[in-house]
Amino acid sequence: MESKLKSTVKEVLGTVIMLALALLVGAVLVVISGNSPMEAYSTMLRGAFGSAQKICELFVELIPILLMAFGISVAFRAQLWNIGATGQFTIGAIAAAAVALYIPVPSGIAIPLSMIAAVVAAAFWAALAGWLKNRFNANEVITTLMLNYIANCFLLYLVNGPMQDPETDLSQSALVPVGMMLTRLFGDYRLHSGIFIMLIVTVIMFFFWKTNFGYRINLIGQGEKVATYAGVNVKRTTVMTMMLSGALIGLAGWIQIFGIQYRILSGIAGSYGDIATIVALLGALNPYGIIAAGVFFAALRCGGNSMQRMTDVPFSVVDVIEGLIIIFVIAKTIVNNKTLGLRDKFRRKQGGKAHVE
Amino acid sequence: MENMAVKMQGITKAFNGVKANDHVDFYLEKGSIHGLLGENGAGKTTLMNILYGLYQQDEGTIMINGKIEDISSPVKAISLGIGMVHQHFMLARPLTVVENVMLGRKSRRGILLDTKQTAQELAAVSDKYKMGVDPYSKIWQLSVGEQQRVEILTAIYMGAQTLILDEPTAVLTPQETELFFDTLREMREDGKSIILITHKLEEIVEIVDEVTVLRDGKMIGTKKMDPSVTKGELTNMMVGRDVLFNFPEITKQPGEVKLSFRNICVRNDKGLPALKDFSLDIRESEVVGLAGVDGNGQKELCEVLTGLRKADSGEMTLGGEPVINKEPIFFINKKVSYIPEDRHTTGLALDWSLKRNLIFKSIGKAPYSRNGLMQSKCINAYWEKAKDEYQIKAICGDEKARSLSGGNQQKIILAREIDVEPEVLIADQPTRGLDVGAAEYVRNKIIEARNNSAAVLVVSADLEEILQISDRIAVIYDGELMGILPRGADTYEIGELMMGKREEVAVSGK
Repeated sequence: MESKLKSTVKEVLGTVIMLALALLVGAVLVVISGNSPMEAYSTMLRGAFGSAQKICELFVELIPILLMAFGISVAFRAQLWNIGATGQFTIGAIAAAAVALYIPVPSGIAIPLSMIAAVVAAAFWAALAGWLKNRFNANEVITTLMLNYIANCFLLYLVNGPMQDPETDLSQSALVPVGMMLTRLFGDYRLHSGIFIMLIVTVIMFFFWKTNFGYRINLIGQGEKVATYAGVNVKRTTVMTMMLSGALIGLAGWIQIFGIQYRILSGIAGSYGDIATIVALLGALNPYGIIAAGVFFAALRCGGNSMQRMTDVPFSVVDVIEGLIIIFVIAKTIVNNKTLGLRDKFRRKQGGKAHVE
Repeated sequence: MENMAVKMQGITKAFNGVKANDHVDFYLEKGSIHGLLGENGAGKTTLMNILYGLYQQDEGTIMINGKIEDISSPVKAISLGIGMVHQHFMLARPLTVVENVMLGRKSRRGILLDTKQTAQELAAVSDKYKMGVDPYSKIWQLSVGEQQRVEILTAIYMGAQTLILDEPTAVLTPQETELFFDTLREMREDGKSIILITHKLEEIVEIVDEVTVLRDGKMIGTKKMDPSVTKGELTNMMVGRDVLFNFPEITKQPGEVKLSFRNICVRNDKGLPALKDFSLDIRESEVVGLAGVDGNGQKELCEVLTGLRKADSGEMTLGGEPVINKEPIFFINKKVSYIPEDRHTTGLALDWSLKRNLIFKSIGKAPYSRNGLMQSKCINAYWEKAKDEYQIKAICGDEKARSLSGGNQQKIILAREIDVEPEVLIADQPTRGLDVGAAEYVRNKIIEARNNSAAVLVVSADLEEILQISDRIAVIYDGELMGILPRGADTYEIGELMMGKREEVAVSGK
């Protein structure tokens, strides 16, 4: 137990140092641009947490980021590198909007129906990559990435074609029925009832890794050989893992449609897919870590907007900080793997025959 | 003094505070064969890696031919006439022997290769020591024994006067070992000095002039070998106690046929035939030992028997029920246990905790899982029980499997596979890489399983082991069953079969 605690502390400390470094480099950039980093960062901080409205906005950002990061973490734990969050989000959003716009049923039915449609569509979109991996041994990094483009092109076609709002020339669909929009919780603030879904999913995620399915996903992440040996049906579990991953991401798409956008429009996924991927990695694929990283990134984005408005510092500083964090996360993974590799090598040498192929 | 090829004094080397070598003295007389004996982890390889320049000692001095030398790298070691043949061969398999020798060396013909000249020189050295190596044959075409000769030949060709051989016979059949020893004697005649790292007592007795024993990084002593030195004495020095190969008594005679397979054909990972019409029966309360040189289809056979590999054709019954090509989970549920050859990628999830490794075949099964949730309490309780029962030395159940020694890792696998009271137990190289004590423990557990009515198949490259624990001995060569011999068969006879010489021996049994 002690060693577990120790390694957790070490892990957290490493992450904190990493973030501090990224912020430090950001500060240097602010100085170079001729501004005060203290002012920039304090504006950022106030922009993220300074008022009730700011905090509501923080949660608005947090909802899709967390849901998608959880979805991504499910796949990543199985070493299935699902880079296709953007595409799965898009497909989920399209399905949700299609149900809302074209199936004339009372909103009491349309709401759950559109949710199911979004979740299922995104799950299958993700499962496609899993199936391609099983059937043709296609690398899921490539397939999920390519499916992003297909989803995006499909979206562009729809919002400029069959689903385009007849009232405008913009690349967007008509508004969903008012009765389907998620209730705003505090007056005019944008925070909507989708947060409860996020909270429920968060609680579930804490239990998820203790379920049979969670164990199986984890075991596949340990290696296909050992998972097969342990009696896990690797192919089936791969597809199911991708489905779950896509389902959570599709759920985020559904929430975004009925909570914020009320319609589909080109580029609806924004950069949520990328941010959620970083959040999942930064959070070490564990629910606590993902929550912490999610709040950090939501704050960075909300605060960054404020900073851009209130000071002369451009938002691109935030982009740089995000980029640096990506690099640090990757570097950390490589460093860890290297030290692990070295340690094994050393063991092998020292133990003589301790390791025999 | 002039007679010493190597003299190492007070060598100490620590890794992370653990002393792998603790003030070890070692010397090697010119023109002699010196055995370096010890269990795994005793520090033999570390000491020799220091001599070969792979590690630097923390303390102590090394004298080569009477002169103190600082051996900072293998290149320096080679220039001092020291060569080393590692356990794992460092050969490029698609290339020929001579091309391998020329790798990393400067050609004497400028930008042109000096292949022909090198080949001639190599052939000359090969003839001199009767090694029979053809410089133009490709490495992948050679047997393991031949590859080893290539390694030795390379070292000598590079000018080695002192040769370090790390567990050279581990991969050889008895006949190949004989041939290998002839080469060693030949080289000794020629004035070369040889260090033989081993943990096999028979070899020490047979070929070595002097022996140095290491235990836990410390030097226990050096002895001149003469007929008065007994194996028992050496074992005592090596292990620090007498190892009695005391197996549980056989309490049950073999019963009904439990596992039977007929005409199994299967391909290996490269798509080449690995098993050809392989048939065998294993009965209840019976250990069948499968002898053979590594890579003759043993692993593929085990995988077919546990559902991990699909057979192209053939039949297989388990307790009378046809079971060919069922999924692995089917075999797990039928209590077919499997100790795989590769602990690191198959038998264990190295980055998982020990307790999870213990139960990973029981995901979704009571009592470890209820209502879809894995029960931590139950898993912890089982870990505590297994830890005591199987004498697993670990700090806690949350430790990663990676952090354990090979012996303790194998105990985790044993606990998982044997604690389910298997009906069939497939053990592929169950004691490979384990020290004497741990190996003894593993064999005991296998016999115990047999006495509990399991049908057992033990695959091993170690003939001693096969002879010790088998009721019947099957021999495999190139994917074919060469024959089945009764308990107590002659080593030489088994060795012949292992090399594929079926016609020369009367196949008894079957």
